[in-house]
Amino acid sequence: MIAPRLRSLLLWIAVAAICVFCLVPFYWLINVSLKTGTDLSNADLIPPSPSLDNYSSIFENNDFTSALRNSVIITTITTALALIFGSFAAYALARLRFKFKFLILAIVLSISTFPPIAIAAPIFKLWTDIGIYNTYTGLIVPYLTFALPLAIYILASFFKEIPKELEEAALVDGATHFQAFRKVVLPLAAPGLVTAGLLTAFFVWNEFLLAVTLTSSPSAYTVPVAVANFTGSTEFEVPLGTISAASVVITIPLVVLVIVFQKRIVAGMTAGAVKG
Amino acid sequence: MNVLRLAAILIVAALFAVAGCGDDDDDGGGSGASDSQAVTESRAQGDVTWCIGKDTTGAFTTVIDNFNKANPDANVELLELPESADDQRRLQIQRLRAESAQCDVLGVDVIWTAEYAAQNWLLDVSDAIERQADAFIPSTLETAKYEDKYWAFPFNTNAGFIYWRTGQDGGPKPASWEQMYQQAGDASGFIYQGARYEGLTVNFLELLYSAGGTVVDEGGSEATADSEEVRNVLTFMRDGIDSGDVPKAVTTYMEEESRRAFEGGRATYMRNWPYAYALGKDSQIADSFDVTTFPPYEGNPGAGVLGGYNLAISAFSENPEGSLAFIEFAVEPGQQEIQATEASLPAVVSEVYDMPSVKKALPFATDLRDAVEQAQPRPVSPVYPQISEAIYTNVYAALQGDKSPDQAAQDMNADIQDALETF
Amino acid sequence: MEASTARLGRRWSRGGRRYGTGERRLARAMLAPSLIVMALVAAYPIGYAIWLSLNEYSVRVPGLSRFAGFDNYSEAFSSPEFWDAVTVTFLFTVISVGIELAVGLGMALAMHEAFKGRGLLRTVVLVPWAVLTVVSAITWRTIFEPNLGLAPQVLSALGLPGADVVWLGETGWSMAVMVLADVWKTAPFMALLLLAGLQVIPNDVYDAAKVDGATTLQRFRRITLPLLAPAILVALIFRTLDALRIFDLPYVLTRGANDTTTLSLLSYQELTTNRLIGYGSALSVLTFAIVMGVSFLYIRLVGGNIRSLVADER
Repeated sequence: MIAPRLRSLLLWIAVAAICVFCLVPFYWLINVSLKTGTDLSNADLIPPSPSLDNYSSIFENNDFTSALRNSVIITTITTALALIFGSFAAYALARLRFKFKFLILAIVLSISTFPPIAIAAPIFKLWTDIGIYNTYTGLIVPYLTFALPLAIYILASFFKEIPKELEEAALVDGATHFQAFRKVVLPLAAPGLVTAGLLTAFFVWNEFLLAVTLTSSPSAYTVPVAVANFTGSTEFEVPLGTISAASVVITIPLVVLVIVFQKRIVAGMTAGAVKG
Repeated sequence: MNVLRLAAILIVAALFAVAGCGDDDDDGGGSGASDSQAVTESRAQGDVTWCIGKDTTGAFTTVIDNFNKANPDANVELLELPESADDQRRLQIQRLRAESAQCDVLGVDVIWTAEYAAQNWLLDVSDAIERQADAFIPSTLETAKYEDKYWAFPFNTNAGFIYWRTGQDGGPKPASWEQMYQQAGDASGFIYQGARYEGLTVNFLELLYSAGGTVVDEGGSEATADSEEVRNVLTFMRDGIDSGDVPKAVTTYMEEESRRAFEGGRATYMRNWPYAYALGKDSQIADSFDVTTFPPYEGNPGAGVLGGYNLAISAFSENPEGSLAFIEFAVEPGQQEIQATEASLPAVVSEVYDMPSVKKALPFATDLRDAVEQAQPRPVSPVYPQISEAIYTNVYAALQGDKSPDQAAQDMNADIQDALETF
Repeated sequence: MEASTARLGRRWSRGGRRYGTGERRLARAMLAPSLIVMALVAAYPIGYAIWLSLNEYSVRVPGLSRFAGFDNYSEAFSSPEFWDAVTVTFLFTVISVGIELAVGLGMALAMHEAFKGRGLLRTVVLVPWAVLTVVSAITWRTIFEPNLGLAPQVLSALGLPGADVVWLGETGWSMAVMVLADVWKTAPFMALLLLAGLQVIPNDVYDAAKVDGATTLQRFRRITLPLLAPAILVALIFRTLDALRIFDLPYVLTRGANDTTTLSLLSYQELTTNRLIGYGSALSVLTFAIVMGVSFLYIRLVGGNIRSLVADER
């Protein structure tokens, strides 16, 4: 048995190490975002003349703010659809009986593993022909396709963990499978839903290749594309300052999202403990 | 219907559809495929979309506004592509392969022009060029030429320079490459773009061209890289690193890293493009550096390598005449002056360098024109990316000491020959 | 309770056909949206890419193409660059995923412990993940910039060796930086999955074990790890699949120099930069096949868990 004091100390050391590991590069990002002009050529750990110029310039940039809006909309819709479609499919795979389950699982997994670079151009051509090039739909549909496999897997493994007796009890009480799914299984799988949701959201938010291939006007750009379009004053200059500022700005809503959903994770856990 | 069956049918149908029409853009019978088309007339009317990399300073928008005002029947719009050259090229090629009419005028890097032309993706503008060939700096026209025809108009150009630190921390103005390396060794070193990418090809060719060497023969069908000159240049570059004249860090440097190191006082000499000049003047070394054209190497005059962008008309454009009109406008001296003064984009029109406004914005303007005049294009070939890869991978291996200069030269030659024989 | 459930179970498995049809219909309906979306979007492009890999498209003569059968594939198999890329990709995957699992597990355990500031820790841990992939690659590149970056500065300030190393210019060190950057970005992903898995383990199991006198290590090995296995498996599979396809990091950090060219980077170079459509597509298909092969290997070796995901009990 490890003595409680020692255990506590170890825990705090671990926590400190984790914080340093996670935050130092992020600190560097903030550091660079507060530097302008020639300071960027130096490697000072603290900006010699900190300024918020980079931040104000990205917000003055209409393209960036509209890209933020686009990203939020696309991410939200894709995540919602991924959770809905994904939970349906995961329930079918985890609970219901039918043939070819393994094959479907294999196909589902394989969809997400094909190198995007090889299919970017064909999707571009197809989308142009259909007419959804440079639209929200044009991005949501492929994102959904690539996000579903992970969502389905995570949700299926969560559904599997939930004791069958609970659903069976509901079925005995006269509920249909679907009602059992909605009222019994989903609430208990809350941590799984949150996890799948967060992972999907982060994937969509970060995705660059398809976004840059399937959009061509600032009104449709997502955040990664807009950041790629940040410019210095010439072709070769890499505007580290504004890129860093944009990155810091983007991180904040995501962090807020996590803080908000944290409570849900805790609630789901307590609910499970009570019922189980 | 059974969902699984539906999905399976969809997949099979898709595969059939794909097999059936998979070669529609690639058979000789497609539009604009076998016969290259030319555009000779320009008519300033209709819609024109200009696809080029990010308009960093608004200078492109200014030219567009000027054109639209002067030609009310025409409407030019800017479609900005990402800043990175690789992304610009990929997105342009994607549209060209799909025969999309979205882009009329393309901002094409000088090294992509022959590639696009070889695929019949561009319209022949030889007649239009012939009409005003004298206005351009001759070397810039070379980049737009492929198989004796012109496929684009030069738009802006670029040539490298040697930057050097003056004053206390500095060194003397370099009188030759050999001397510069030596003096760098005594001071804080010479840096250039030595990472394993296109920039290394440029740096290597600058020395090779000075030495009178080539990598591909005149006809563009045979590799000539297994030569004395190539070995000497590789040995020279390698010795520079071995002796410490050149810090090993250059093997990770692209343009920005070398600029930052130079501005941070980490080097006495640097090879870089003109863009670093304005940024340097804004930095802590503002008063203690200067630029000069390439000094002689092996007794021969220094030679640069051309950079820059050309303007070409897509073969799938629905308004070639309007596109031509816009391009001819953009290369007028007045518009070139705007590019030079507002965006520091070196002009391709000779007389622009004599304008007082340009001399003010680019203090080394005359040097710049000289540098451009003596510069040579990189090998003009449809397989340029593979040639460049052959060059930079082998030069990099030589710099790292992974291959001897002899071995690197031989391998470079073999790789280039393979590239020239690609199907 | 038990007896009646057993009776119910028997009833359900017997009148199987009547019950089964309803179940099958529901299954179809629930699977339909996902399958249709995936079939529509992925079938054509993937099919097309496979078709492209069976042809050769001339880069010198416009419009010229020829059916090449499996020539592109045999070219890949006889190309040293391909095998180098395979080696690099697997090396990176094994090292990176291994470290990520360990670090992620550590983070998850720490986050799971009940103590003050836990919420803040969870937020901190997700920060690396919130940074855009490309931006994080650029950040790491500047951190390791010779002389000027954070790493050389810190190392020289602390008097540690390595301040002079040209990290991104040396074979081996380049890979190390790549692994570090990847672990930084994705250990939170692991931590998140593992944390969710930890949270569904009921406390009573631990309490019972403690009463029985099990040490922390024993509790970890005999209770935590086995119960966490499904979550670990999901995390491993997806991280492995991602690591096998890594592109952004080698592209930004080194452009593939110093033995860091991965399969995806090689495919990109051949497909997009060199415009060898047929060969590049073949490389993509091979990458895909390799990735699929690895995932099936996982399933077979680890056996139980994925099959049990879809196995019908009774």
